[in-house]
Parts: sequence; C-alpha cells; structure tokens
Amino acid sequence: MIQTRDPEPIGRVVATELKPATPHQFHFWTANETTIGIGAIVRVEEPGPGKREGGRVVYGVVTDGFAYSDLATPLHDVVSAEGDPARAAESPSVRQEIRLWTAAVLRQQPEEPLQPVPLGAVYVASDADVAQALRMDAYVSGAQPSGIPVGLYTAAGLEAPVYLDADFLLGPEAAHLNISGVSGLATKTSAVEFLLASIFEHFPAHKGRVAALCFNVKGPDLCFLDRPGTLDDADRRRYERLGIVPQPFQRVRYYAPFKADGVNLNTLRTHPDLVGDVEPLVWGLSEVLDFAEVLLNRDDIDAKADAFIDFLSDRVLNKEFDDGFGGGHRVQTFADLDGLFRAIFDGLELSGRSDMWRTHHIATIRKVRNRLSNISTRCKGLVTDDGPSSDLPWGGFEDRTVYVVDVANVDPLGQDLVFARVVSKLREHLERRDLGVEAVVVFVDELNKYAPGDGPETYVRKMLLDISERGRYLGLVLFAAEQFRSQVHRRVVGNAGTTLFGRMDADELATPGYHVLSPAVKIKLATLPIGELMVRHPHFTQPIFVRFPRPAVLRGRDGVERFPPAADLSFEDAVVRQLARLDRRIRPNQVKDLIAERRPDDVRRALAAVRRTRPDDALAYFRRMLGARVAPATAPAREAVPPLNPISEEPY
Amino acid sequence: MPSSWVDAILAAGAVPASYVPDASAGRTDLEGFTGADGVEDDELRTYCVADARPLAPGAVAFLDGIEQWRVVGYGGVTPIVRGYVAAAVRRRGPDRRLRTAGEVSRELAITRLDALAEPLRRALAESGVAVVELAEEDAGQPTRAIQAARRELERARLAEERGLAERCLAELGPDEWLVVDGVLSDSAALSAHRRAIGVIKSHGAQYFEGAELERALTLPAGHRTSVFQPRSRGARRAIYSWYLRLWPWEGNDLLYGLLRVEAHADAATVARASALSAWLMRERSPLSTPDARWDRLLYPIHDVETYLRSRAPRDVLSHPASRLPRTGS
Repeated sequence: MIQTRDPEPIGRVVATELKPATPHQFHFWTANETTIGIGAIVRVEEPGPGKREGGRVVYGVVTDGFAYSDLATPLHDVVSAEGDPARAAESPSVRQEIRLWTAAVLRQQPEEPLQPVPLGAVYVASDADVAQALRMDAYVSGAQPSGIPVGLYTAAGLEAPVYLDADFLLGPEAAHLNISGVSGLATKTSAVEFLLASIFEHFPAHKGRVAALCFNVKGPDLCFLDRPGTLDDADRRRYERLGIVPQPFQRVRYYAPFKADGVNLNTLRTHPDLVGDVEPLVWGLSEVLDFAEVLLNRDDIDAKADAFIDFLSDRVLNKEFDDGFGGGHRVQTFADLDGLFRAIFDGLELSGRSDMWRTHHIATIRKVRNRLSNISTRCKGLVTDDGPSSDLPWGGFEDRTVYVVDVANVDPLGQDLVFARVVSKLREHLERRDLGVEAVVVFVDELNKYAPGDGPETYVRKMLLDISERGRYLGLVLFAAEQFRSQVHRRVVGNAGTTLFGRMDADELATPGYHVLSPAVKIKLATLPIGELMVRHPHFTQPIFVRFPRPAVLRGRDGVERFPPAADLSFEDAVVRQLARLDRRIRPNQVKDLIAERRPDDVRRALAAVRRTRPDDALAYFRRMLGARVAPATAPAREAVPPLNPISEEPY
Repeated sequence: MPSSWVDAILAAGAVPASYVPDASAGRTDLEGFTGADGVEDDELRTYCVADARPLAPGAVAFLDGIEQWRVVGYGGVTPIVRGYVAAAVRRRGPDRRLRTAGEVSRELAITRLDALAEPLRRALAESGVAVVELAEEDAGQPTRAIQAARRELERARLAEERGLAERCLAELGPDEWLVVDGVLSDSAALSAHRRAIGVIKSHGAQYFEGAELERALTLPAGHRTSVFQPRSRGARRAIYSWYLRLWPWEGNDLLYGLLRVEAHADAATVARASALSAWLMRERSPLSTPDARWDRLLYPIHDVETYLRSRAPRDVLSHPASRLPRTGS
C-alpha cells in the first residue's frame, strides 16, 4: 500500500499563447524519465505566500502526451546521420528532449471563482488526492457511505481504490451500467462478475436488499459463479485493498430450460457434481401468451392479430369457454388451445356460415395459431405443450443472490421470450414491492443483438428502453455489455449512468461517440491490457482508468474443463436423476419400472408435478401423478438385471 | 545574361560558393594576421582523418558563454547599457545526455559616469549594480560609446568564461576532457592543460598566406591541416593549433564547416591531432540547427548556449514590437 505523498514535484505547468492554461485544461512538462502516463492523476499547487500553502489546488488527469526534441526538421537528422539510420544512434550527444503532457481538469479547490489553472508545480496524486479529484469524498465517507469499489487507480506507483456511488449506479439518482469492448480482450464478463461481488459486499445497508439476475447468452460464461477461480497474489492484494473478500458467490441459483426431450437440461452445467442445483425453466401457455408480441415478427404486428391474442388472454385462458359450436373448453395448455382452434376450424367448416368467428377472421386465427404452435416447436423444452410450468421464484428473491438464467443454447426466439418475460416480471414485482429484494441488477450481454441502434422495433428493445429510462425508480438496474457501443440504441447507452470501456476496436473508436476522447486516450483504449477499464461515472468529470482483480469465480472456459458437461442421459436415466435429486432414497430401478412403457409426455407431466410440489415421498407422489398403469398390448421381454447390492448407499 | 560570366568562371575552374556569414568575422580583439610556425610539418599539409580512430573520452565538459545587452537610458548623449553575461559548463557522461555542471552569470551597467548627471550617478551607485566605466575617448559619441560598451561586455563574458573554465579544470575527472568554445590561449591554466581543447569557429585571425593559406582554407571535408603554433603578440600563451573541415565547403564559402582547434603545446597533441579531429568529426551529429552557424557549431556547445539563453533575464533583449511608435493619447 503506497499512500505517502511525494513531496517532490514531478513537473511544472507551462502556458504559451498557443497552448494556454484554461479552467478545463493545462499543460505541464516532466523529466524524460517519469512515471506519469496517459490516465495519471496529478495535483497542481499554485504557489501561495508560503511554500505550498494558501494557493489554489487543481486536480487533473493526463489525456495526452508529447515528446519532441530541438530538431528543426527531420531532414537535419538525415543529414547528420548521412542518410544512415544506424549512424543516428552513434551520435555522441543525445538531443534535448521534452515530455509535455496535457491534462484535463478534474476538480479545482476552491471551486469558485473558476479560473485558469495556475502555473504551479505538479505532483503525483496520493490516495487522498484521488478521492478529492474524483469527488469521492462526498459519498465514500459520512453517515451513510455509498461507495462501491470498481477497481484500483494505478499510476505512478500508486494504487488507490476508486469507488462508484451506489446512488448513481443502482438508483435512484442515476442507474445502469454499460460496458463495451472487443470480444475476448475487454473482459466484460469478468468486470461484471467482479462488480457484482463488490456490490454484494458494499451495497449500503440503508438501501436494503439486492440481488442479481444474469442471462447467460453464450457458452459457459456464467455457469460456475459458485465455484472458486484461480487468483494470484496480485489479485488477492487488490481485493484486500478494495475491501472485498475474494470468494465465489455464496448464493447462486441456476435456471435452464430442458432440451427438446423434456428431461435433459439445456445447459453446460450438466456435470454430475453440479447439475443437481440447476432448476428447470419451463413455461406453459399462460406464461407465454402475455408475451405473444415477442413471438410475432414485424409483419405480424397488426391490430387484428393483437386483438385476437387479447381475446384469448381475457376471455379464454383459464376460463370455462363455449366455442359457439356446442363445445366447452377450459384452455390451460398449448394442447388445450390447439383443441379450441381445431374446434373453431371444424365448426366453421361444418356450418359453412362464414369465415368469421366472434368478429375474428379465420386467417387471423390461423396466423396466431401458427405463431403460437411455432414457439412450442422451436422452444420445445422451454415451452411445454401441456405440462405445468417451472419458474423463477417470483416474490421469493433473496438478498445477495445471483440468479443465472442459462439460455445460451436456446433458439433466439426463445431467448427473446425468456428475456422479455423475466424482465417484465421483475418490473411487475418491483413495482409492487413484493419481489423479495429492493434492487435487482439485470446483466444482459450482447446488447448489440437485443437493443441495436437500427433495425426493426422489437418488444425486447422497447422493454430495454423502458428499463433504461424508468428502471432506476424501481430498483431495476440494467448492466449491459456489448462489443460496439455505437451500434446500440442511443437511449439505452445514454441512460447508463456509469460506463466502462475495456479494450476497444479501432474502428469503433473512430465513430462520433468517441470524439470527446483525445487520440492518446483512444490509443490507450485500443491497447488496454486485460483487467484494465476506463470508467465514466457522474461524479467523475473525466474518464478514469482502473484495474480490477480477476473475479474470484471459476471462468466459464476453465469450468467446462474442470466440470465437463455430461452427455445427454437416456429418457429413463434423466427422469431417475431428477427424481433422485429430489429424494435421495429413490433407486433407479424403482423409477425405471414405473415409467416403462409410459408415454413420455405423461412422465414429463408427472415429473413436473413432483418438481413443483416437492413432496416428502417423491416416488409415491410421482407414482400417483402417473396414474394407472397402461399395459401395452404386447409386453416386450425385459432384460432386467437385479441390482448387485440392493441396499447400497448409491443414490440411484 | 547576368549569370553568363558566373557560368564562365565556374567553367574555368572557380569553385562555386555563396556568401560569408557574419558569424565568421569572429572576436573583435583578435589580430588579423600574426603568422604561425610549423610543428608537425615545416610546410602546412593536409591529412585525412577518416581512418583515424576517434578519441572517445568517457566524459566531456563543454563550456560556452553568452552576452546580452540593451541601451536602457541616456544621460545627455551618453548611453547607459545594461549588460548580462553568463557562462556554463554542461557535462556529457556515458548516457550521452548533457547536464549542467557549473554556471556563472553577472549583470552590469556600462557607461561613463563622469558624463552623467549627479542624480543618475547616485541612482546607479545605490542600485548596487556593477558599473563598468567606458574610456573617456569612447564616451563622446553615442555610436562609438555603444561599440565600446559591446567590447567591454565581451571582455566581461570572456572573464566569466575563463574563471568558470579554470574552476572546471580543477574538477575534471581523470578521463574527462574540457571543450571550450573559443581560444585557450587567453588562460594560462587552459593553455597548460593536456585535456582541454578550444574550438574556434570564427576566423578573424589568420596565420598563413599564399599557398599555405589556400591549403588551409580549401581543406577538403574530413581533413585537417598539420599542427602549427600561432605566433602571438602580447600576453597570449603558446598553444598548438590546426584546421579541421567538418563539411564540404564547395557551394558555400571558404569558411563553411571550418574549425580551428587549439590544444596544449606539446608532442602528445601532435600525436593525437588526428584522433582529436576524428572525435570532432563525430560531433557533427546531431546538427546544431536551427542555429545559422550549425556547420561549425558543435551540438553540445549549442546546447550550452540554449541553456544559458533559457536562463537569461527576459527583459534584457527588447521585443522588436516595442520599437513601434505608441498609438493613442
């Protein structure tokens, strides 16, 4: 820990007619060998009546650097080396050089009257200076501190913690965080994992409870948040400096839909040691119908289809309904709904009266049927035709808990549906204050896909815009990541109170949104090492570079190596595993005997019922839900092998 | 055609040339022609130094001085000149960077006190500034007085340089050399030191005539003359000297790139004249541009001058715009 103030100046402010000092910018020179670099924070002291007293103090961050010698023109260097570059290095003398730096003002003390930066001595900033310069003194200390460590400012041999203001990161003053950077090098996911750990550790008590909901949209990125990762001494030192315990998340709940077979989970967290704590995410008709708009493409969105879907929701779903042809329906599942559709089509055909049914044209009804059956086909495993749903614990969210919804292998349409419904439910419960926590951080990667700046208006984009603009009042906070910030909807990124930048693509940096950055800062961004970020935060008048430790959780790639995903189990074995997870007394053969020659849909339905009910005797309940055994016409000979040790401790 | 006769003489063998810069005129107190005695050869010869192994001292101190002046007032028609002289030594070590090892500066007033009214004399006395008196015969005419003041200022600078050089010699390391911008023979200590050399870039004084003069002044680039001993009048000390051409003069003027080197008068100097010359040839790089004398001004000497000018008071030299008539009421 280096906190001592270096009493020796490292530079002096200079001002010329061409490069004057202004209230927002100044220039200073240093020795050629200096620890100062782009992003360094410095303190300027105006010479007062006594040494270092009484004068104005200005804090600045270095935004550009210049080096030049007394060489009048490059031609003279060529002449003196007689055209041979090798000889240039043989000159007995080295030309006089200068290191001239440009710094942007972070803060002046006193703040009024605002004046040009004095031509004083320049010092390396200390810990206290960094806090002053970034105005962190207003929220890191005091009766109700609200500082959230985001990393360490590291420059000139100093490592000073940098804090974000929770009121501006998680609401209500401002909220949301956006992180940009090239894939693989910007460490966007790692940064968010670290920041979530920091929030969980430092979220102010007076602000209540907080949870995080992360959508895992690619690979195994977020599949091992509860497993410890590899840290080195430097990481541990940084954690200590930031006051964060380097440990994986203590409470993580995983949710993943099934694969099309309805029993194997569609996630990379299927290693036998881990799969037990992955909850299935299965939705039925009622969960889907409210978000039918998500399923319709732009051409589908017309008033007629919309009206028919509303009709289904209001008048049909979960109600006793007469189809007008003498049939009664109680629609609770996709299968029930399909029955209703068939009855309508048959009724219209038999009656031959017209193409209209209850003011809805048959073409509209066919279109809606097509789209809704399409979702149950494309998202089979997530959307069940006729089974009960398995959902997130709405109303039972727990403090400092991460909820991971793994939709990495789900059809894009299904991803949109999951995203839309989960966020809408979060918003709904937060509005009612009955979610279980006061604030939820929603982490969404690939914002370029979900909230692009151009392209058709989608339900997901509309919802992201809504969160961005109104979420801070509800405690619904969006942490979003993308590769190309310039291609994300302006209002989504514009409403992010805090912005992080990892290593950036040079083409992206050439877009107009980055014109406020100096060329040197852009170069630094384009070459930023892993683990370093540029931070913009409402309290910081200029972007600040920080370094953060590796997250203390197992990286997705390492996790997959250490816990390789299991191969898909057969239908029987998958059912056995799920039941055994609920009741360790259950033995495989008991289950296999029960489900032999059963229709898979019946088994899935019974399994879902057990999952939802969680009875004490899971096997008995499962047997009851399966109902009477249906004997096949001809029973195939079974090659049953009795267990070697029927009273084994082996769970199944 | 105006240039036809020029073409004709060039075609007849004249070496093309340009003008002679003012800086070539040199110091005002050096003799025009004194003559010289051959040391290395009876008759002046030229030697190529391209194959000589350059002397490579571990450290070198470079000394130079500056003078600045301005007429700050008149007492009647007698000018009162504010002068500033300074000298510095910048040392170059193995890292090839130059760092200040010593410096002196002095401000002085130059005038003829007798010619000033009593209040002026009193004001000068009370200010504490060192006053250098002009000779009575120089003070009558303002133009002449100013020229005399410049001479006095030059003498003051030389004195400061000499004093600093002698102090520097006392601190010189065993493998360290001192390179002085100017002659060594003004100082007994400098003349006697075996690791001090003077580099003279102005050629107001000439030591040869006839064929030897032509040989000296048409020296090819990368060549030196034989070592000779200038004859001197007055108190000048015995010294060995030779000419060295740093850059080809053809197309410029006879003195372009021409240095005269002074060193201690002993046999060792003759023995290492080529090595010293080769070292100075290496000092051509880096160029001391944008100084107009870059063809003869060694970069470290230029660096000392730059250092001294950056340290000089800002108000000694007048800004050109200040000579414009004042406008308004």
